[in-house]
Amino acid sequence: MADQATWSEAHVRRLFWRAGFGATPAEAARFVHAGKDATIKWLLSSGSGTLRGAPPSVEGKPLDPTNEWGHDVLWWLDRMVRSDRPLVEKMTLFWHDHFATRDQDTPLMLRQNRMLRARSLGSFPALLRSVTRDDAMQLFLSLADSSKEAPNENFARELMELFTLGHGYSERDIREAARALTGFRARWSNRGFGGTYYDRSAHDARVKRIFGKRGRYDWQDVLELVCSHRSHAPFIVGKLWSYFTPMPLDRVTRKRLVERYRRSGLKIKPVVGAILAHPALYSDLERPDMVKSPVVFVAGALRLVGRGVDRGDWAWLLDNMGQALFRPPSVAGWEGGPAWLSTNTIRARFTAVNYLFDDGGPLAVANGAISSSLSPAEAVALARRSVGDQPTSAETNATLERMVVRFFADLKPDDWRRQQRADMCQRVLRHLLLSGPEAQLH
Amino acid sequence: MASPNVHRACSDFHQTSEATRRRYLETPLTRRQVVARGLGTGLAIYAANAISLAQILESAEAEAVAAPDAPVLVSVFLPGGCDLLDTLVPLHQYGAYADLRGRLGLREAQPLGGSGLGFHPALGKGLRGGVKGLFDQGKIGFLPGIDYANPDLSHFHSRHFWDTGLVTSRRATGWLGRWLDHNGSPDNPLQGISMSSGLSPLMRSGSKPVAAVSSPNDAQFWIPGVWGEGFDRAMETYGELASRRPTPPGPAAAASAARMARTVADRLMPYRSDDNGVDPLAPPVVYPQDNELGKRLSHLAGMLSLPLGIRVASVEAAGDFDTHDNQPQDLERNLTDVSEALSAFQADLEARGLANRVLTFVWSEFGRRAQPNESRGTDHGAGGVAWVQGTRARAGVLSDYPELTKLDAQDNLAVTIDFRRVYCSLIEQWLAADAGAVIPNAAGFGRLRLVA
Repeated sequence: MADQATWSEAHVRRLFWRAGFGATPAEAARFVHAGKDATIKWLLSSGSGTLRGAPPSVEGKPLDPTNEWGHDVLWWLDRMVRSDRPLVEKMTLFWHDHFATRDQDTPLMLRQNRMLRARSLGSFPALLRSVTRDDAMQLFLSLADSSKEAPNENFARELMELFTLGHGYSERDIREAARALTGFRARWSNRGFGGTYYDRSAHDARVKRIFGKRGRYDWQDVLELVCSHRSHAPFIVGKLWSYFTPMPLDRVTRKRLVERYRRSGLKIKPVVGAILAHPALYSDLERPDMVKSPVVFVAGALRLVGRGVDRGDWAWLLDNMGQALFRPPSVAGWEGGPAWLSTNTIRARFTAVNYLFDDGGPLAVANGAISSSLSPAEAVALARRSVGDQPTSAETNATLERMVVRFFADLKPDDWRRQQRADMCQRVLRHLLLSGPEAQLH
Repeated sequence: MASPNVHRACSDFHQTSEATRRRYLETPLTRRQVVARGLGTGLAIYAANAISLAQILESAEAEAVAAPDAPVLVSVFLPGGCDLLDTLVPLHQYGAYADLRGRLGLREAQPLGGSGLGFHPALGKGLRGGVKGLFDQGKIGFLPGIDYANPDLSHFHSRHFWDTGLVTSRRATGWLGRWLDHNGSPDNPLQGISMSSGLSPLMRSGSKPVAAVSSPNDAQFWIPGVWGEGFDRAMETYGELASRRPTPPGPAAAASAARMARTVADRLMPYRSDDNGVDPLAPPVVYPQDNELGKRLSHLAGMLSLPLGIRVASVEAAGDFDTHDNQPQDLERNLTDVSEALSAFQADLEARGLANRVLTFVWSEFGRRAQPNESRGTDHGAGGVAWVQGTRARAGVLSDYPELTKLDAQDNLAVTIDFRRVYCSLIEQWLAADAGAVIPNAAGFGRLRLVA
């Protein structure tokens, strides 16, 4: 139980992994001093945050997220690394996964991303309205040009199944809601897509029957109906909970969070605040049990080694790890959890760490740089300092120290290769602290 | 706003993306190239000196030698819900078909033997007449109307049912993973492979190891500036860190993925391209260009030719069959890719002498609504299409084609065969195992002859 009195660096680190992208040693020290309540309040405070430090450049040029392949990914990754409001980026990522959209023009995706960020901790109904009117979403789920003559059910179905309810509705509700959602149109010209608009003449104004109620519903009515449906609050509360902790959500806590959400008028921030303060978030601090998503893995590693987004490789490396931002696999988003890790994606994570080891970078070990007379504990401690002083379990420490001994076991004290081995050993230690099984967890 | 002065036309964007991806993904850096690019400080090239190459080959070959002709089942998933009516056109009900699909329908469907059905012309594309050619050669058995009773029209629910072989929303292992749990080896992750970055849900197992592999090249580990004995120590230690058996699902997944990734790397090491880019598994036939499914199937055929003990494999097509809009163009493009890729794969298996032990099952999570929507597309429906393919597949049209004049209460096609009947039949007739251990209530689904 983490009250103000027992608030430690381990608590800060856990909170910053779950609510952000890891805590640097400086952050861990600062927020252990601030205390639990003040730290959570700081994370939740409004505004989308400012970016610290110099803006990134790749191959000597500033990022061009609209035109260059992968720069949209780098642009967002940079925000995760440099934002002083990590929770806002983490929640933007949550909504990108929740309202997963893909296969749309980059400018539309970037505009959607800014909208999600601005609304990430605000009112859910306001967010849902913005998502429904969002051009990328309208095109992706065929809401644009769904007309009264032939309503397209795509958006109506995902609205209930994935966005707001999960269960508690029928096929008929979907069909009737699809009729109520008609009326949006896309403007097309020889210059391509020109935005969406509402055309009353394309809307089905007749009576519909949704969730047992009858009315001449339109799109705004449908959004109100789903938000006031009894399944909505438990659904969204459960999804937010499992974003922050793999612990099961017990009945009492669920009820408390649902009440809090409803009393606030369906606002996100009070629920997230309550989850971040819950003891379940701080269970078993020495044995993290939640799998990092690939972007959290990368952004966290960059922050811990003190490095910005300065190479374009992260875009395709993230793709290999199974999380291409702006291209979720489907409208259901990423499966997440243990499913992030297969033989292929864990090897991709191992390979990605290689890209932190280039010459001159903070992890580089020049030939001859490491004393060959370091004790195993000293060698491990040196490596640990280079990766942001992240603690590891006693078993991992012991395994790494045994490795240091084995590195020199076949060499006599005066063998000329001892220096070479000391350098290599330090590279391997740093690598395994970032790439080993324990580094996949937070 | 997507006006051209803000955003250099979309096609440019996609070309850049494809070119960049290809540059990185298809020619993974060898250690020598890595050194040349200044990423590493070492000069030597690691050559598998600690883990004896012979040892790796022996262990893999042991299983393959024990069962050299063990049959292999390949699943090819067409994501999004492939339309039955325009893929396998009911020429024998042409009037009703034209009434329904008038604006959308195909007028140039190619008649399919004496079956009363016709092919989407895109299925004639590819080596030796594409999928149509395979049908004419007696290597395809179609399963129109495949689905399950009271179909759920959600992609995710339906796909989950097909993946697990259970019509339930509970989390569950995949049906191929479950088959491995009962019949697989305790230490060969390559027995069940997903040709993808993540593991296919079909292959998710309870106790037996499985792997996701995109190609032997992509399975290897390296660390810049670390080689020889140093690299051996690194990988031993990585293995030791992964040897623990924690119980919570996250830590368990991290340890087992790391452990199995190492095994896969060791086993595939001899088959990666050499430093001159020469691919020892280069296919003996020409695969289509720019076809992601073809590329995955080509890597799979190469690995099937090796003594790796592969028993079940899963490949997902890259296209999107969720044709809510512009079905005529999108379906044509997707079926062309499928036809070209599958016909090349079949020719490849035959050229490598593997054809008699590989059966391919092609499926999609549901069919589409008989009546089109206003966006020149079709919404989610029931009664889809699947097929078995191979030299030992039973050829023909193996299930009843749904009657277009007898739609169900939701205006959907009738379901004429349950997918679990097909699963049970594949398990018994092809994998020669007990279907009851894999599919609950297996006895209740009946069987259909799928193997000639």
